[in-house]
Amino acid sequence: MPYKRSLQRYRYWYAKLLRLYSKPYHERFGEGMEQTFSDLLRERAALNRGLLSCALWICVETFAGIVRENLTVIPMRNKNIIRIALATAFLLSIPLVAMQFNDEMAWSLTDFIVAGGLLFGAGLTYELIARKAGNIAYRVAVGLAVVTALLLVWVNLAVGIIGSENNPANVMYLGVLAVGIIGAIIARLQPRGMARALFAMALAQILVPVIAMIIWRPQVTLRVVEVFGHLFFVALFVFSALLFRRASATNAQ
Amino acid sequence: MAKNTVNAPLTPAVLHILLALSVQERHGYGIMKQVEADSQGKVKMGPGTLYGSLKRMIDAGLIRESDKRVDPEMDDERRIYYKITGLGQKALTAELERYREVVTVAQQKRLSPNTSAYAL
Repeated sequence: MPYKRSLQRYRYWYAKLLRLYSKPYHERFGEGMEQTFSDLLRERAALNRGLLSCALWICVETFAGIVRENLTVIPMRNKNIIRIALATAFLLSIPLVAMQFNDEMAWSLTDFIVAGGLLFGAGLTYELIARKAGNIAYRVAVGLAVVTALLLVWVNLAVGIIGSENNPANVMYLGVLAVGIIGAIIARLQPRGMARALFAMALAQILVPVIAMIIWRPQVTLRVVEVFGHLFFVALFVFSALLFRRASATNAQ
Repeated sequence: MAKNTVNAPLTPAVLHILLALSVQERHGYGIMKQVEADSQGKVKMGPGTLYGSLKRMIDAGLIRESDKRVDPEMDDERRIYYKITGLGQKALTAELERYREVVTVAQQKRLSPNTSAYAL
């Protein structure tokens, strides 16, 4: 029969996919799953319909099953880390797919590595800090602070906040992150101290362009859009600080 | 533990698999087709969902592997058949009883697919 060769090929690849299951699971159900895969494709072939789309659907469905099964045998903390890694991979797949259709989108391997590192690092930071917090305001505050810091780095690397991304003044924004990291360490992640750290980040965000204009004047000037950009980041840091303060007040009660 | 398994509500996948096995032993593909037929095509499981559910059901004692034999209607591959256990029968009966009770309550409230309350 003409479909038999395709079926054998698809079954070969499906068998490879099944090896992603844990060894005990694979030994117990692998053969049965392969047979079921073949049965479904045979049924499809009997209806004179294409096998590829069906094989792909089964592979995607099985892959989801593999992720589910493997997550059940991993401790909760590791599960969250795997979720962050999967979310990072998904977000990175967007520019990867876009590159196939749009010539203007041209990410290098370094771009993917940096973006992946930033996204995974941000997710991991949130997981490590907010994991144990029962207070919702605290969690939202951590999430907002992490996302704002991530945006700050991303925008800076992509287009630069002051002038272009090559403008040396942009390096000063690392100072904003340093203020946050040092503040969080001093505060030992306690909400009251974290509120102060975030207010300090907002202040640092305001001071960076002021200092840059003093040092690099007249090369460095702020356009209206850059002023609004700064205010946007300042507002996010302040909002995060207020949430930390609220979390502190809730804890005190 | 067994008592908890019997009394706990079943997931839709587990309920359909127990229903499919309630009449006769079936292999994986046979269960899949029976579930599709029972649900009039509304429930379609892929191998990932089916075998994941089968594993949990075996671990919970609701079903067990029967033996390996050839399905006369399929090819000549030997297949693993699954059969419902006594515990599985009890769990299925308990779940169907829960459904009956829900339907009875709905009938007492005179709810039907055409009433506005149902639509809400």
